[in-house]
Amino acid sequence: MSFFRRKAKGKEHERPADIKPNRACVSPVPVNSQSPSLVPRNQHAILEAAGPSHVAISAISANMDSFARGRTAILKKQPSHMEAAHFGDLGRSSVNYQAQETRSRLSKTVEQILRDNVAIPYFIQYMETQGADHLVKFWLEAESFRSTSWSRVRAHSLNSVKHSSLAEPASPSTGRPDGEDLSEVTGHLLDANSPSPGRVSSSESVSSGCSKEACVLQPQADTPTRQVSSRMGTPFKLQPTNALKELSEKLMKSIERDAVNIFTKYISPDAARPIPITESMRNDIVAKICGEDGQVDPNCFVIAQSVVFGVMEQQHFSQFLRSHHFCKYQIEVLTSGTVFLADILFCESALFYFSEYMEKEEAVNILQFWLAADNFQDQLASKKGQYDGQEAQNDAMILYDKYFSLQATNPLGFDDSVRLEIESNICREGGPLPDCFTTPLRQAWTTMEKVYLPGFLSSNLYYKYLNDLINSVRADEFVGGNVTPLGQSAPLDGDRNASTSEGMQSQQATKKAAIKILKNFDEAITVDTASLDPESLYQRPYAGRMTFGKVNELGQFIREAEPEPDVKKSKGSMFSQAMKKWVQGNSDEAQEEMAWKIAKMIVNDVIHQTDYENPYMKSTKVSDFTTGTKIPVSYDTPDLPKDTPF
Amino acid sequence: MSETYDFLFKFLVIGSAGTGKSCLLHQFIENKFKQDSNHTIGVEFGSRVVNVGGKTVKLQIWDTAGQERFRSVTRSYYRGAAGALLVYDITSRETYNALTNWLTDARTLASPNIIIILCGNKKDLDADREVTFLEASRFAQENELMFLETSALTGENVEEAFLKCARTILNKIESGELDPERMGSGIQYGDTSLRQLRQPRGAAVQTRPQCNC
Repeated sequence: MSFFRRKAKGKEHERPADIKPNRACVSPVPVNSQSPSLVPRNQHAILEAAGPSHVAISAISANMDSFARGRTAILKKQPSHMEAAHFGDLGRSSVNYQAQETRSRLSKTVEQILRDNVAIPYFIQYMETQGADHLVKFWLEAESFRSTSWSRVRAHSLNSVKHSSLAEPASPSTGRPDGEDLSEVTGHLLDANSPSPGRVSSSESVSSGCSKEACVLQPQADTPTRQVSSRMGTPFKLQPTNALKELSEKLMKSIERDAVNIFTKYISPDAARPIPITESMRNDIVAKICGEDGQVDPNCFVIAQSVVFGVMEQQHFSQFLRSHHFCKYQIEVLTSGTVFLADILFCESALFYFSEYMEKEEAVNILQFWLAADNFQDQLASKKGQYDGQEAQNDAMILYDKYFSLQATNPLGFDDSVRLEIESNICREGGPLPDCFTTPLRQAWTTMEKVYLPGFLSSNLYYKYLNDLINSVRADEFVGGNVTPLGQSAPLDGDRNASTSEGMQSQQATKKAAIKILKNFDEAITVDTASLDPESLYQRPYAGRMTFGKVNELGQFIREAEPEPDVKKSKGSMFSQAMKKWVQGNSDEAQEEMAWKIAKMIVNDVIHQTDYENPYMKSTKVSDFTTGTKIPVSYDTPDLPKDTPF
Repeated sequence: MSETYDFLFKFLVIGSAGTGKSCLLHQFIENKFKQDSNHTIGVEFGSRVVNVGGKTVKLQIWDTAGQERFRSVTRSYYRGAAGALLVYDITSRETYNALTNWLTDARTLASPNIIIILCGNKKDLDADREVTFLEASRFAQENELMFLETSALTGENVEEAFLKCARTILNKIESGELDPERMGSGIQYGDTSLRQLRQPRGAAVQTRPQCNC
């Protein structure tokens, strides 16, 4: 793989030419590689799309080719890599591989999102656009309340235990553990009280309640421990006892306060945004908060939580997964560092690209086997109590015949020891178990992870995947943020109010028309006169904002993340680079910008001087200043005002 | 064997067990009938490049298991499919009756714009027919599906089914209804198409509004 390393140094355009002789001499095995003509096309295409130095990208695609050739050649020559013995210590992937390795960070269930600090802000944002964010916030607060309440209750009962045991004479040695215990508990409490980060705005009420408590608790916690540890005698235990008692009372009070907070915000009938629960549930919660023994039941919100959870799951979640918020989250995951194989294999949108990649690498059998065997094990494992040994055996035999047997149709090069193991697993008395194919699955997984995933992550296909994610975000943000209709749905009477309401109604048509505008600038650009403003020439609306891009009133798409062709590619994935860059146009860009701005100013000037009934630029009615009569004038007559700066 | 293509579409083949989904796929890709076909474990996929509407389109076709026990695992592969073949067996009434279930799954789990073609397979077994062309055709019409009767054995209408679906998708791309760069569309641009992506910007420079003042 020495040529792989070589490519990392230096970046010249002749790189593709360099590679060709290398390919010929290194690998005698004919390998499916991209035709040489494809490489410059890739370069060209990649250059024009958002991305860092085209030189760097050509290096990457060159890497990909040579990498692919070298690796495939190695694979064909040495099936021994498939042997278990060959793997050695491969770290987390092979050692810890289990059938339960099913988590892709890119593909989430509701449960997973609610517990994921990275994903939850995006979910909250999405829910805000749907006007349903109170559901999420309630769920999060109630969950936090539940866990912290249990901690507080535990602390409280610990205290009461201490209280009773402290009456006995205690040795100095036990004194310290008690104090430590208490500080440990309250320490734990303080940790539990600070809600997990990422709960953006939802943490207000909970943390305000709890952090105040935490602040109060902290000094309290210190004093008893200090007292206990410094003085090791029985008589001084009485002082901590009082402190402890106060402490536990405070804890219970705080639970009550939090419960009431949550209730007032979400459950009480006159809450601003009540969650959808029945009257009986509400009464039940009230009963649990105001318990007979004065104690609040920490589980009082659990039922309401599950109702809200159900609503979120059924009504909002699938839309969220299609929304650009989720795409943004996926982009964040993919550009924030390591991408794991699990992320790709368990996310169907990433899998779409990865399977194409594997097909190009002629290694699609590994993936097919992995998919089939994994599915087989999954469905077998989920059959609780309905296990049919014969059926399972039949299924397993199909896989065996296809991939393992000596006359296999799609042999993968598994060695004899694995084959024998599979045979004995399948022929097991009573039928194969769900871990029947674990060994070859692990080998296939590791092969994909070590051999193919790195290539994939630097491939054109992965680039396309990220590109599509980003484009989904842009398209959605454009539609969401721009209500005034552009394009053919602009009203003829030029009435602004009508246009906005029509815009709302014809959002669907606008979406299609809008997308058209993004793609076909050679169509006649229709301008919504209401949104033009010459002052905007001097504004800097993008400064300080991290957005992918925006479409302005003229229908022009302005990218935020512009490539810098002159800058050498530094560390980090090309997309984290692209996303972190600001618009710094080169001279061509600047000129184009200027041209657009001037065009806008001209149009606006014209409009301001005329009585606009027709927003189309082709013809405008100019009222004669003297007589007030309307004279139709076409746009490019020399009668128009000339005082626009050029 | 490097293939270049303008587009890559993700297709699904769904339907009850034993309707001939794997054979349809095999016929389409290999032009042969798979005599000793076993039932599919989970999913498999195959691909083929076709010419549709003047464009080169690669179809990445995911063949799913029809057995009920694999239902939950196969559902996870539905998302982000551009087109689907919904297959039933004309000699088995049961498979026809189950169509609504499969259709619901496809519409809810896959892309909302998914293009579905209904395939009445095993057309060669006309003697054992249990579902008439007319009623299936009406079902397809009511549910806004395309419809063809196919035979994986003889190859009749197999290629047409895939091509018809692909052509519809291509038309929608060209009319702007479907955006290939959208995540979850089930469509990728091929390498040859990447340049078209950036044309609008180039075009914009040329069509700067001409002001004669």
